[in-house]
Amino acid sequence: MTIPFKLHNIVKRYQEREVLSIERLEIPAGEINAILGPNGSGKTTLLRIMALLLVNDEGRLEVLGEKVNWSKGQILRLRRQMSMVTQTSYMFQGSVYYNVAYGLRQRKVSESGIKRSVKEALEMVGMSAYQEADARTLSGGERQKAAIARALVLKPQVLFLDEPTSNIDMASAAEIEKHILAINQNWGTTIIMVTHNLFQAKRLADEVIFLHEGHLIEKGRAETVFDQPRDERTAAFLRGETVY
Amino acid sequence: MDTILQGIKEGFYLILQMDAEIIEVTVLSLQVSLTALILSALIGIPAGAASALKKFPGKKLLLNIVYTLMGLPPVLAGLLVYLLLTYRGPLGQYELLFTPAAMVIAQVLLATPIIWGLTARAVMALEQNVYDTAATLGASRRQAAFTLVREARMGIIAALTTAFGRVIAEVGAVMLVGGNIRWATRVLTTSIVLETRMGNFSTALALGMILLMISFLINLMIIMLEKRTFRYDNTIQIT
Repeated sequence: MTIPFKLHNIVKRYQEREVLSIERLEIPAGEINAILGPNGSGKTTLLRIMALLLVNDEGRLEVLGEKVNWSKGQILRLRRQMSMVTQTSYMFQGSVYYNVAYGLRQRKVSESGIKRSVKEALEMVGMSAYQEADARTLSGGERQKAAIARALVLKPQVLFLDEPTSNIDMASAAEIEKHILAINQNWGTTIIMVTHNLFQAKRLADEVIFLHEGHLIEKGRAETVFDQPRDERTAAFLRGETVY
Repeated sequence: MDTILQGIKEGFYLILQMDAEIIEVTVLSLQVSLTALILSALIGIPAGAASALKKFPGKKLLLNIVYTLMGLPPVLAGLLVYLLLTYRGPLGQYELLFTPAAMVIAQVLLATPIIWGLTARAVMALEQNVYDTAATLGASRRQAAFTLVREARMGIIAALTTAFGRVIAEVGAVMLVGGNIRWATRVLTTSIVLETRMGNFSTALALGMILLMISFLINLMIIMLEKRTFRYDNTIQIT
């Protein structure tokens, strides 16, 4: 299987400040990858570059076997094989159905096809009863489940999750985690997840990536990194100490 | 006060009489202002969205000019169109001066900056999150731009109602470029001026009432349309 993401010397700056500098990073296909690190370590910046929402200032980025040249056509083609769920998912004005159907509509899928797929996706996340509900009136947990349905209806090769459960209660978070695992196991979707929650990363991740001040300081199999971190800063982070 | 009450009473009587001239004036007012509104929306909504979403040199200056033109005095708009369309003007050959077409052009000049400026503001008020959501769900740039306009539609509807209110009620521009010619370019507002000058206050008031009723009905239609398309109540709950 091709490596879905290859990063070489990727640098991102905001004004003059360097916020991300990754020498080399490869994300394996079909696994759940957790990106961990303290606030301001560049986790979301890294995620947004890989999701092609943010242009890197330097370096070479390969996504799904293609060197990214940021042409309109290429970006659209690559983005259509990926999807994303963020911390506080934005819901478009309209029904839950409208929201879940959105990505399929942009791909010009037939209305009957959309109907079938939306029904399936909402059933998967246990939201069938909410199909006609106003998406703006959903609770935090329901909103995240609708966002998961909206992303998984597209059957993406890659699913990005940016703190998908940080604003919801534990019961809803557990349910979302169950869906994340199911998507990965049933379809082999590569999942790249930014999380603050170490326990969540332990429960879900196959591979973990630690960032610190914009640099990759450790990467490896989850069980190894959690049990025997090589970098002292990772160890301190895992012990719950503040890392400087 | 008596004059006003008497005027309103006579006004109702005039409306009920369905006078042919009043009907003609009312229909022309609607034709001119609705045509101007549609043309301005066709220019103003895409221009507003584009100037909000694209980065280009002079963007702030352009938006500042548009915001300034939102307050363009109708009589000045009328004067500019007059100078363009007058016999010796650059567009004089088309002989549009003192025709309803000239009135439409003047009103487009007044309505377009309002729709442009308010659409730009409504789109700029959206957060990055909205674009990102559309993009990560596979929308092309054009599709994402449509989505942003759709998400900003409450503001855009406000722009349309504001623009319509401005053009249906203005008198300076249509007077200058239309000339208030009976059975040709006379509209409600110019008739009100004329009737007032002639001392026919009740007729003037009746015309004023018709003007308000039209505004009310058009806005009602827009609200009904809003309800149908929007289905969902976006009212902020205040307890």
